[in-house]
Amino acid sequence: MDPFLLEALVNGILLGGVFALPALGLNLVFGVVDVVWLCYAELVMVGMYAVWFLFTQLGWPLPLAFATCLPIVSLLGIALHYLVVRPLLSSPPINQVLATGGVLFLLQGAMTLVFRTEFRSLGVDMPPMEVGEIFVSGTKLAAFCAALVGAAILWAFLKYTYVGTAIRAIARDREVMPLMGVDPQRIYLIASAVGGALAGLAACLLVVQLDVHPFVGLSFGPITFMICVMGGLGNMLGGFLAAFLMGIIVSVGGFWGTTEFSYVVAFGFFIVTMFARPRGLFAR
Amino acid sequence: MKDLGTTRRGLLQSGAGLAAGALTLPATVARAQAPARGGDPLRVGVMTDLSGPFAGAGSQPLFWGAEVAIEMFNAAGGVDGRPVQAITADSQSKADVAINEAERLLGQERLEVVTGIYSSAHAVPLSGRFEQSKKMMWITSAIATAVLKDKNFRYVFRPTVHSDQYGEGSVSMIHEHAQAKLGTAPDKVKLGVIYEDGPYGTGVSSAIEANAKQRGMPIVLKEAYAATAPDLSTLVTKLRRERPDVVFQVGYNPDITLFLRQAKSGGLRFKMLIGHGAGWSQIDRLTETFGADVNHMCNVDPAATQMLDWSKLGPGVGDLAKAFVEKFQAKHNLRDLPPHASMGFNNTWIFLEHVLKPAVRKTGGMTADALREAALEIDIPTGGTIQGYGVKFAPPGDAMAGQNQRSIAVVMQFDNGKSRVIWPTAIGVPPVLPLPAGHAFAAR
Repeated sequence: MDPFLLEALVNGILLGGVFALPALGLNLVFGVVDVVWLCYAELVMVGMYAVWFLFTQLGWPLPLAFATCLPIVSLLGIALHYLVVRPLLSSPPINQVLATGGVLFLLQGAMTLVFRTEFRSLGVDMPPMEVGEIFVSGTKLAAFCAALVGAAILWAFLKYTYVGTAIRAIARDREVMPLMGVDPQRIYLIASAVGGALAGLAACLLVVQLDVHPFVGLSFGPITFMICVMGGLGNMLGGFLAAFLMGIIVSVGGFWGTTEFSYVVAFGFFIVTMFARPRGLFAR
Repeated sequence: MKDLGTTRRGLLQSGAGLAAGALTLPATVARAQAPARGGDPLRVGVMTDLSGPFAGAGSQPLFWGAEVAIEMFNAAGGVDGRPVQAITADSQSKADVAINEAERLLGQERLEVVTGIYSSAHAVPLSGRFEQSKKMMWITSAIATAVLKDKNFRYVFRPTVHSDQYGEGSVSMIHEHAQAKLGTAPDKVKLGVIYEDGPYGTGVSSAIEANAKQRGMPIVLKEAYAATAPDLSTLVTKLRRERPDVVFQVGYNPDITLFLRQAKSGGLRFKMLIGHGAGWSQIDRLTETFGADVNHMCNVDPAATQMLDWSKLGPGVGDLAKAFVEKFQAKHNLRDLPPHASMGFNNTWIFLEHVLKPAVRKTGGMTADALREAALEIDIPTGGTIQGYGVKFAPPGDAMAGQNQRSIAVVMQFDNGKSRVIWPTAIGVPPVLPLPAGHAFAAR
């Protein structure tokens, strides 16, 4: 096998790992609360700024900055639910989308005011792994592993805890579960907190790979939404798998064609998927 | 009833909004319609990207440079006591916002001239609009040749360089030094060209290709990408497969930093990397992010004024450059002023001093036609501006009508956080070529 093609394939899988976490968080919130957080990528952006600020400005050790980022963005998720989503739960879906879209611009504007428009960087890099003619980015590999661990912890939480079971139950039938004693408002809040924490974890993985600026969400936000829809909105496993599929399409498509062509292929595949399986590629 | 309540509240809010609008509208109209009497400010539009990705890729210092120019011009008395009032607009790194803001400046503010315009992706659609409305567009940054080529615009002027000059600079520099520095005949030096897919990247990359072809230099990979792409690692893999000796990148930001980061971790090595303005001109930011990894890399742009020997500029120009650098550094803490700061100041100063002033003095007012006539009469020799170039605009009927025919792009090399001119060879210092052994990107 062409070693460069193999490298492109590996890069695609690692890229999928980057997309997977935000896709998981977004799907979790949508599956449970039934609201699309249009500002999800901006929550990640705030988390990236938090890590950058704690690490470079306050001199905190990087692991501590990472550990602090998770509760910060988790709290932001809770605040978003309390202040924006909850008052609109019974409103038409378009109102909810517009409201979280408003938060998107609010967060971009707030970060521009606080940190200005400069591109910030952690200046942290890990040496690449060289296997024969193949180079694998150490930073991307570490991020990929962390994404897998994060996804595994989320899976265990949803599978083996009472709250996790309640979350899955609510996601399956929002109408019936309250009749069985489950408090939906509490579950919504927990799902928002976990969704926020996943955005925080995604921020930790992305901040070592991308520069931080108020509009960094544009780089991965739209494609994350596409992945969620392709995997089936609210379907966590579907979104997770679709992230890797998208990563491989982009990477290998770019290798055989051009970088621009790879996105044409990816979007073309998305459109065909929507025609063939409107509820998502992995919908049951 | 719930719907009714919402509707009622909505109506109340709309009513409040209309009332607020009615209160502010007369003031706006009154300001826009005020006749320009002696002592009245001369209103000039300044449109740049103060938010969005372009802000961090040079548009912010472009604005700051223009701001300093207007402050210094006003401090020196403006036009016979009439100060210049900047009517600013933030195009937010979005073409649709740029178009809307241009409509506001032309329609509501009733401006005769708008200066600035950082991005070629904005300049292309805006130029036609200005031409149609017969108002002056004075481009201080957007460099795509396509903005003016074969358009025969009469109201669009660009005192700065255009993209064909970038390709000529970078390819010529490598061609001139290939044998002596790289030990390779020029026609054996392999070039790789990667570029953002907007008019800026497309324009410069086409110029690189044309110049390489003219000199018989092989291009082993030429590929476009979106500046907002989340990943460029496949591009790195393909470059590594093709093994170019020299990589040419045309990008904004964050694509430049993303590429460098992934190139390093992807094992890409080369003899030289040459950037072409925009994000590559933000040396402070690049050095802050990559440290020694960007040392000795090159960039093409009009020279930042502090790179020039001010004593060799025209009478008084060196003093102007010195005053600008001191004032700029007092306001903005930058170690090495990016070329965009000089571009913002210089091209705005040319407008204020050599277009606005004579036009107002000649006609007593400020119309786009008077400004246009003054622009076409400019004849500043080389060395007459703080960036070293002269000014003489191509006349109507020329293939590049409105383009400054005396603009100059230079190739500069990063040297421990500073930039120094290495091309044109006659005015530059000898380049460090190839990247020295031990450099993170040096070909082994």
